[in-house]
Amino acid sequence: MKKYLTLFHINWQNSLQYRFSLVIYIAGYSLYIWVLLYLWSTVYHEGNTVGNYTLSQLTTYYLLQLMINSVIFSYISWDVIDNIKDGHFSNFLIKPLDYFLYWFTVNLSGKILEAFFVIIAAGLISLLFGGYFAFPGRLITFLYFLISVILGIVLAFEMDFCVGMITFWLTQVRTFKYMLQTLILFFAGAMLPLDLFPGLLMKISNILPFQYLVFFPISLYLGKVDNPWPSFIMLSVWILIFYVIARILLIRGIRRYEAVGA
Amino acid sequence: MRPSVHRIFHNIMRYLKLYRVFLFQNLKEDMIYRSNFMTLVIMDIWSVGISVILFKIIYSHVNTIAGWTFDQSLILIGSVGIIREMAYLTFRRGFLELGSHIRTGTFDLFMTRPIAPNLHLAFRHVSLSESFGEAVMGGALVVYGLMRLHHWNWISIFLYVVFLLNSLLIYYGFSLLMNSVVFWVIKSQELNTIVYFFMETSRYPGDIFRGVGKIIFTFIIPIGIIATVPASILTGRIGWGFAVTALIVGSVFLSAGLWVWKRSIGHYSSASG
Repeated sequence: MKKYLTLFHINWQNSLQYRFSLVIYIAGYSLYIWVLLYLWSTVYHEGNTVGNYTLSQLTTYYLLQLMINSVIFSYISWDVIDNIKDGHFSNFLIKPLDYFLYWFTVNLSGKILEAFFVIIAAGLISLLFGGYFAFPGRLITFLYFLISVILGIVLAFEMDFCVGMITFWLTQVRTFKYMLQTLILFFAGAMLPLDLFPGLLMKISNILPFQYLVFFPISLYLGKVDNPWPSFIMLSVWILIFYVIARILLIRGIRRYEAVGA
Repeated sequence: MRPSVHRIFHNIMRYLKLYRVFLFQNLKEDMIYRSNFMTLVIMDIWSVGISVILFKIIYSHVNTIAGWTFDQSLILIGSVGIIREMAYLTFRRGFLELGSHIRTGTFDLFMTRPIAPNLHLAFRHVSLSESFGEAVMGGALVVYGLMRLHHWNWISIFLYVVFLLNSLLIYYGFSLLMNSVVFWVIKSQELNTIVYFFMETSRYPGDIFRGVGKIIFTFIIPIGIIATVPASILTGRIGWGFAVTALIVGSVFLSAGLWVWKRSIGHYSSASG
């Protein structure tokens, strides 16, 4: 445990070094969210309503998505891919560090700084945009939201780690990852709330686990979920499933990696 | 020395010739990595496909957005793809490489050649493949959108091309401004991320912006112009006033970009020294 705490601390300092690119990325993504807010506000000002959302709920949806994109989503697989491709992975084979836990710690420590910047960004946008941000009426709603965010961080990491593991088998993994990322964002509800999807797409998104990354936490926050417990259980099951997959991929990957190195 | 008309003409011909040489050189390289080419095309088709689906879903809830129908929006999305490809064929790759040139000191090469550094940087690695899929999809969307609209004519197509070029110049000016920072702050090549989002967000009609947003997204971060103005011209939904504004923004961005760039490369000190 102690070594992971040290790792957490080191990496936290490392990520301070990269704060410039972090701020730039968040600024770019905020621009995107800001434009989407204009889009929806135009739609509502023209007298339309979309699904059962009020404009304030939709605005809140996108501002929360801006935060979730940084706080929940994991992007460490880019580093995992490099790590395996460059052969630095060899170093881990002789270190008393668990590869899965290593990246889990790295991912987590990077989140703190990101969360800090992204909350500022969301605050700025809602100021510029004029107070459409809705807060949950009850404390329990907020607690549910927090639990879902924490579980979401774990699930997102596991999925991302699995993608990184593919590097052992597939050299063109970056292309694959890029396409998968777009698909995940789509079915997570990052671009549009999933309950605005037409029938078939909504059914597909309800089966897939990606909804727990964006749509579910935000729906909780907006008070659109009456009983969150079945979803929490389902989410935990997915976390377990992806944990097992990640472990299997890692064990098999190491075997394959050694075979290549020999 | 005052530049004579003859001299300017001579210079333009010279750069066109250089561009041709660089283009063929890069096409040859593209041909070598054919599987890479296919991968890039598939990725592009994928991402444009997703944004079309997104618009389709949005339009299943509304008939128009700020006056734009679904078919008109397709022309908008398509135009972004075309402008992106034009940019990759002229300057975009160079900017993506600028940061590493400065960090390693290889920018010296650009300063010592008898070619303007900005044009050399731009033409050196022009890429047909980087955004080819998006251009093909974009072209198809524009043609499809037009067929559904019925009321097009050759003049509007001609003006469409003119305003696409104007948007390319805005894009270039904006990129110059963003990338000039790299000469002052070494680690700022990440600013190209902003340029990426700049084009991503141009897919939405500029007419959605109001108040402060209208001013910001027309004059400061002109994403309300880039694709919106050409697409508006093609779909016949623009007044002369806004078209002229777009031309002014174009020339201001280009001149400002070139001016700031010139000042900034004066600040370059080789990393190898």
